[in-house]
Amino acid sequence: MNQKELLKGNIAIAKAAINCGCKCYFGYPITPQTEIGEYLSNEMEKRNLAYVCAESEIAAINMCIGASSSGAKTMTSSSSCAVSLMQEAISYACSDELPIVIVNVMRAGPGQGYIYPSQGDYDQSTIGGGNGDYRIICLSPSTVQECIDMTYKAFYLAQKYKNPTILLLDGLLGQMAEPAIINDNPYEEIDNSSWVLKGAKNRPSRQINSLEPNQTKLNSHIFKMFEKYKQLEENEQDYEDFMCDDADIIICAFGSLARCAKDLCSYYRQKGIKMGLFRPKTLYPFPNKKLEELSLRAKLFIDIEMNMGQMLRDVRLTISHNAKISFIGKPVGDWLKKEELIDAIDKILKENYATSL
Amino acid sequence: MIKSFLISGSGGQGILSIGTILANIFMLNDLFVTYCSCYGAEMRGGAVNCEINMSDSELYSIQNTKVDFLIALNQASLDKFISKVKENGIIIVNSSLAKINKTRNDIKYIFAPLTQQASSLGNIKFANSIALGILSKILNNFPIENVKKAYEKFLSNKTELIQKNIEAYLLGYNSIKEIN
Amino acid sequence: MQQVYSTPKSIKKDSTFTFCAGCDHGLAIKLVAEVLDELNLRENTIAVASSGCSVFLYDFLDVDCIESPHGRACAVATGIKRAHRALNEEKFVFTYQGDGDFASIGLSESLHSALRGENISVICINNTNYGMTGGQMGPTTVLGQHTTTSPNGRNVKYHGYPIKTAEQIALCDGTCFSARVALCDIKNIINAKEQIKKCFEYQKQNLGFSFVEILSSCPTNWKLSPSDSHKKIKEELSEIYPLKVFKDIKEND
Repeated sequence: MNQKELLKGNIAIAKAAINCGCKCYFGYPITPQTEIGEYLSNEMEKRNLAYVCAESEIAAINMCIGASSSGAKTMTSSSSCAVSLMQEAISYACSDELPIVIVNVMRAGPGQGYIYPSQGDYDQSTIGGGNGDYRIICLSPSTVQECIDMTYKAFYLAQKYKNPTILLLDGLLGQMAEPAIINDNPYEEIDNSSWVLKGAKNRPSRQINSLEPNQTKLNSHIFKMFEKYKQLEENEQDYEDFMCDDADIIICAFGSLARCAKDLCSYYRQKGIKMGLFRPKTLYPFPNKKLEELSLRAKLFIDIEMNMGQMLRDVRLTISHNAKISFIGKPVGDWLKKEELIDAIDKILKENYATSL
Repeated sequence: MIKSFLISGSGGQGILSIGTILANIFMLNDLFVTYCSCYGAEMRGGAVNCEINMSDSELYSIQNTKVDFLIALNQASLDKFISKVKENGIIIVNSSLAKINKTRNDIKYIFAPLTQQASSLGNIKFANSIALGILSKILNNFPIENVKKAYEKFLSNKTELIQKNIEAYLLGYNSIKEIN
Repeated sequence: MQQVYSTPKSIKKDSTFTFCAGCDHGLAIKLVAEVLDELNLRENTIAVASSGCSVFLYDFLDVDCIESPHGRACAVATGIKRAHRALNEEKFVFTYQGDGDFASIGLSESLHSALRGENISVICINNTNYGMTGGQMGPTTVLGQHTTTSPNGRNVKYHGYPIKTAEQIALCDGTCFSARVALCDIKNIINAKEQIKKCFEYQKQNLGFSFVEILSSCPTNWKLSPSDSHKKIKEELSEIYPLKVFKDIKEND
């Protein structure tokens, strides 16, 4: 068991979901994540678990609401424009405090866009695309192994905080394959017996609802949700700092793009430039504590994203003092080539350090 | 040391199959590897390609501007990707479906009538495995057991098909004496 | 003294009536509660409430209940039913929806649940308008009916036709039972309860999607007295929306 195998990101997520006890999957096909549903259709049926080829993403996410209220580990997967369709139900699920894992394998937008990889849904995932005050836990893997590890973590955090959790990756990571190990789920099971709907037997009946005509109660419900988010921000920030200890220049990037940025660090270090990489693994909660600490000594931050600058806002909000922030971005993927990034970074370095570097 | 590979051809030529098998061979030899294929509507007929990176240390980059090796199983893919080969790179061309014509003099060409050779083995679909054999000979570093394992994993229980493909692989492997 | 009536067990003890005077929602919920009691389902039931006046279901019913986003009750119910099966538990799952919820915004989820033959039950309250928002034209608003968004009366040329929900649901292969009932007089109330009971029993027997449409009064928005509202149902609406069983998989056998 636990042997290394060559796995696509999408398949790795599906296998990890099965391995950590996902009982229900509801989805609708969309490139570049369709393999997740394809793989699970067979695996779930074999195990007598719940799988529905839903009539739409709207139906799929609402089936998730029903299933998670029953206490079953529940997942859906989709991509960008179709995750947009789910936003209403995600807002409900946040208010209902339901643990649902939503995998978004991002493609280029806006609108229909195309199936090219992109990171254009950072805002939609972290700020939320639905109505009202809520937050969604958002994890960002950058390798196929992390797709597995973070699937486990997504289920765990969703259950622990009773909140929808998004596993956010781009089409490139979903489609690429590399050796990875389906290891065991390291997280404990969370007891949900105090809130799930199983029928009012030997206890008072329970209601799960977001409607609240009493404004005092509605206010206190949202305050309570934000107490939970405060806990999340306090306890669950996660990141990777790569060659950051002595770095003068720190690249901020997430997902598949961040792994490519590691090559840049080695490249510039060979040229005598102390470069490091700061990679948020949780996009919400954004790991601002560490980034703030790094910004006390590094002189320049280069934020690189496959979008027009979405995480950039969180980086700017964190780095509030004198360190400079530059941005390199291109909304559509298939461009993560080292040479292109080097050209762009050289230009930034020239602008900022005409003499000293 | 990172080496990059681009395998290309048309739908039905088994491009993604040998790409996956090659990536598995690298993995079985304890190398780091990434495998990326074109996806979506692109895979339904027409041009197909996949890119593989291999290294003895952890791999960060996934896609490349230029590659060290190109396998082109038809003329269209040769024309499309010839410029993507690095200086001193190596290109394996299926001369059954592409002209023997060296348009660059800074790379090494290997022309082999893969489709014809495959046909002599009973099915033109084996052209991909012959190409893989040639590439393997050039790289000169995988034990045949791992090659067999990779084929067995990909073709699960189809014993006869595995045998035929290994035969094709060896035909390619043994057909190369030197690279000119 | 002999007790001849008591509030159903499935009705919350402390509930007070919050619907408009003469609204049939209260009666419909009471019938549902009586049937849950009679079939001994209360402790094994998960109800799905929807958006609109029907959302208040959980203020009255003393069963586990989840509120669904507008129109998605059948999808939520599908998730509940399937999840419990994946957990090796069999639960009784029904939705309680208005006609706007079921047949307009949620038509896709409703129809596909019926087509798949999801083993759930649906009670759909048809009052021919969007009640909670103040009486706008809905998918079931009949021709000639005045609403706040068809102030000159619904006409085919300008507004198009209404939907006959129970008839449409009966067409789905996965439907085991589809009926339309009304609550306009004692005879019809008794019949309505019988059909609701059959609808619920069919789910217990795993027969597929079971559906009851209840023609209901909306005196406030119809601008009629409760008794005139019931008269309207009896004399006008039941002509357009016939009160009958459109599909019964057991009768067809």
